[in-house]
Amino acid sequence: MSKADTPSQVADFVRAARADKAPFEIVAGGTRRNVGRPLGNLPLLDVSGLSGILKYEPEELIITAAPATPLAEINAALAEKNQRLGFDPADWSKLLKSNGMATLAGAASCDASGSGKLRHGGARDSLLGFQAVNGLGESFRGGSKVVKNVTGFDLPKLMCGAYGTLSVLTEMTFRVYPKPQYTAILCLADVSPENGFAALRKIAHSALEPAGLAYLPASMMADVGQGAALIKLEGASQPLEEKIALAHGLLGGAMRRVEEDPFAAIGSGEKFADLPGDVWRIMVAPSDAPHVAKELNVKHWLGDWAGGMIWLAAAPTEAARIRKLAADVKGQAMLLRASPESRTLHGLYAAQPPALAALGHAVKLAFDPLSLFNPGRL
Amino acid sequence: MLLPPSDSKIIARRAQIVAALQDMVPDGVVADRSGLATFDSDALSAYHQMPLVCVLPSNREQVSAILKFAEKEGVPIVPRGAGTSLSGGALPREDGILIGMGRMKRILEIDYENGCVVVEPGVTNLNITKAVEANGFYYAPDPSSQVACTIGGNVAENSGGLHCLKYGLTTNNLLGVTMVLPGGEIVTLGGKSGSQGGLDLLGLVTGSEGLLGVVVEVVVKILRKAPVTRTLLASFDSVPAAGACVAAIIADGVVPAAMEFMDKRAAGAIESYNHPGYPLEAEAILIIDADGVEADVSYAVSRVIDIVAKCGGKTVEATDEKQRARIWSGRKAAFAAMGKLAPDMICMDGTIPRHALPDVLEEMAKLSEQYGLGFCNVFHAGDGNLHPLIIFDTMKPGEFERAEAFGADILRLCVKVGGVLSGEHGIGIEKRDLMTDQFTTEDLAQQGRVKCAFDAQGLFNPGKVFPTLSACIEQGHIHVHGAQLPHPHLPRY
Repeated sequence: MSKADTPSQVADFVRAARADKAPFEIVAGGTRRNVGRPLGNLPLLDVSGLSGILKYEPEELIITAAPATPLAEINAALAEKNQRLGFDPADWSKLLKSNGMATLAGAASCDASGSGKLRHGGARDSLLGFQAVNGLGESFRGGSKVVKNVTGFDLPKLMCGAYGTLSVLTEMTFRVYPKPQYTAILCLADVSPENGFAALRKIAHSALEPAGLAYLPASMMADVGQGAALIKLEGASQPLEEKIALAHGLLGGAMRRVEEDPFAAIGSGEKFADLPGDVWRIMVAPSDAPHVAKELNVKHWLGDWAGGMIWLAAAPTEAARIRKLAADVKGQAMLLRASPESRTLHGLYAAQPPALAALGHAVKLAFDPLSLFNPGRL
Repeated sequence: MLLPPSDSKIIARRAQIVAALQDMVPDGVVADRSGLATFDSDALSAYHQMPLVCVLPSNREQVSAILKFAEKEGVPIVPRGAGTSLSGGALPREDGILIGMGRMKRILEIDYENGCVVVEPGVTNLNITKAVEANGFYYAPDPSSQVACTIGGNVAENSGGLHCLKYGLTTNNLLGVTMVLPGGEIVTLGGKSGSQGGLDLLGLVTGSEGLLGVVVEVVVKILRKAPVTRTLLASFDSVPAAGACVAAIIADGVVPAAMEFMDKRAAGAIESYNHPGYPLEAEAILIIDADGVEADVSYAVSRVIDIVAKCGGKTVEATDEKQRARIWSGRKAAFAAMGKLAPDMICMDGTIPRHALPDVLEEMAKLSEQYGLGFCNVFHAGDGNLHPLIIFDTMKPGEFERAEAFGADILRLCVKVGGVLSGEHGIGIEKRDLMTDQFTTEDLAQQGRVKCAFDAQGLFNPGKVFPTLSACIEQGHIHVHGAQLPHPHLPRY
C-alpha cells in the first residue's frame, strides 16, 4: 500500500502509475470499499492523510476541507456554528460492518445521502468546487468557492456518485445550511403502504419543507399496526406548533408525536445491518413506491424520500427480478450490500442503454484515459 | 471579441444545406435575409451575425436528423431558445446552422403526484408556473427574463434568478432531460426517479451553454407556493453598513427567499423610472423576502429587523400585496431604468465572497474613474452575485470599447478576490477570453476533454465559452511555462 498525504504526493503517485499503466484503488476511511464491483487485488493508494478542515466561513455558507476529513469532524465543526451539510451524508459503516471512519469524499463519491436529501438535495447539490488529480497526473480544479457559479462546465456534479472513477480528490468545498433549532417527528400508525405513501406525498408537496418522510412496514418498526408513515419537520422558530397543526390539517387522523428520531437509522441503512440477504436501494418516482413495494414481495423493506427511495433486503437469487422491477418503472436498483460474487455478477447499477453507456465511458476516459482509478467499480 | 473564422467551403455549400434541411423540416427552414435578420443576435445585442440558415424543428426526430446531417457534413450548430442570453450564447455563425427550439413548446405532462412537470424545451419559464399555479404550485428559478426565456435555454445556461439563495439554480430544480447528442443519438438523463445509474451527466449537461447537444425534453420539479411571503425594504447610510448587514443576516441562520442590494444611483434611476417608493436619500438599500409558514416567516422578519437596526439601517415593511409587487417591480425593471442615466448599458455578472463586497465596491469606483464611465450596482446580495451596470453612449467614439474593458476589469477583480466570472449569465462569447483568468491551462484542458467526449468534431457552438479550440484528437494537454500560454502569436478567439 502506498500513502499520499499531500496533493503533490497524489500527483506523483498517479504519474508513476500512469507510466506503469498500473490501475489502483483509492482508499481513505475504507468504509465503502465493499460497494460496487470488487476491484480484485489492486494496489491501494491510501489518501487518509489528506484530512482536515482547511477553511470554514460560516457567513459565506461554505466549508473547504481535505477529502478524507471524517464526517464526524465536519459535522461537529458545523454544529458549533449551528450549521450542517445540506446533503445529510449517510454513514454506511454500520450496514457494511466496517470499523473505519466515514469521510467527506467517501460520502460524496458514493452519493450517499440520508433521509434529509428531501430538504436540500444530494451531494451534487452541495459540492461547489474541488481540486483533484486526473489520470494524466495533473492537478485541476472544478467549480469554485462561492455559492453561485455557472463558469465553465459543472464538474463538481460529476464527482458526486462517480465512486472515485474520475480523479483523486484533494480538496472539496461545500455549501452549508443553517441547522434548524427545532425538530418534530410525527407518526401516522397502522396505515397500508398505499395510504402511508399517499400521506407522505401530501406532506412532500405542501409548504412544510419536511426534512424526512418515510414509510416503515410492521416488519421494520414495532407497535405500528400494519405500518407507519413518519414525518420529520424542522423550523427555526418555536417548537413547531404551527407546522404540526398544518400537518394534522392535511392528513387528519390520529398522528402522534415520537420522541426519538428514527431517521438516522433509516437513511444510513442501519435498519438492515443485522438482516440477512443482499441490501438494495431502489430509486423510483415516489408515486410508484406502493406498487414496487407490493411487487417486491419481500419481508424487510422501507420507503424513504416520500417513496422515492426503497430500501430492501432480499435473497441473492432475487437480483434479476429486482432489477427488472426497477426497470419496469424507469427506476434504478442499486446493489449496496452483497457478496463479492453477487457484486461482480450484477454490478452496482443495471447496464445502461448503449448510447448512454458509451457517453458515460467517453466522459470517464476524458478524466482518466488509462482507467487507472477504481477500474470497473461503477 | 472575435469568433473563430468561418469556413468558406461550408458557406459555398449553402444552397445544398438549405435544401437538405427543407427535406427534413419542410415547414421550418428560414433562409431568406429578412427572416434570418430576426435571429442575428441575442440579448448581448452589441454583437450581430447572420446565421447560414435557421431551422425550427417541431419534434425530436427532426432534431436528430438535423444533428446527424450536421455531423456528416461537418457543419457547426448553434442552439437557440428565445435568444435572451446576456452572454451571447446564441449568437449565430456565418457558417453554422442555427437550430431554434421555439416551436417545441408543448407541456407534455403535469404530475402533481410526483411534484414535477414534463415539457418541451421551448416552453417559457413563466408558462410552467402558469400551468400549475391554479393548484398552488410554481417553478422556482425565476430569471428576470422569465416571461420570454425558455426552459431549454435555462437548462443550457443553468439560469438563476432572484430566489436562488433559498431555492437553487436550474440544476437544483431539474429531474431529467432527454437530449440529442452530436451525431443524432438520443439519450435520456435522469427522469422522475431523479437517478441515472451512473455518472451524473444531467448535472454536467446543465449549464453547458449549447456545447454538448440539444435538449428536447425537460422534467422539472414544481414546488408548493409558500403560504406567507413578507417583503422588507431596508435602507442604510453607507454601503459597507449594508454589506455587513447581509453577512450578519446569513450568519444568524436566516435564509431569506431573496435579498437584493441596490446602490443609491441604481435606486434613484429606478425610482424615477417606475416609482416603486425607494428611499432616495439612502446610500444603499436591501429588498428582503421571507417566505414559508407564518411562524417561520414572523421569526425571520423579526430577526432581520433587529439585525438591520444593529447595523444602523432602517426597515419598512410592505403592508400589502400591492406594495410588495411595487417594490419588486422596481428591482425587476433595473436594467430598463438605466435608460434614465445613459443611452446604453451593459450588465455584468460575477460572484464574489460576500465579505469582499466593500473592497470590491471601492475598487469598482476607482475603475469607473479610470475609464471615465458611470456605473451602478444591483446585486443578489444573499449569494454574492454582483450585477454592475456600466452606462455609456455607443455614439461617442470609443465608449463601447471602454465599457467592455471596464467590465472585463470588474470580472477580473471578482476572480482576484476569490469569486467567479459568472453567477448566472454564463460565459458565451462575452466572458470567453477571461476564462484564463479564472482557470489554469490544466483546468481548461480538462473541460476541453469533457467537451470532446460529447462533440469530437467541435461542431457545437464553436467559439463560445472556451478561449481556444483544442483539437480533440490530441486529448492531451498543453504545457505552460510561467504564465505564458503556448504559441502567443496565434490568434485567440
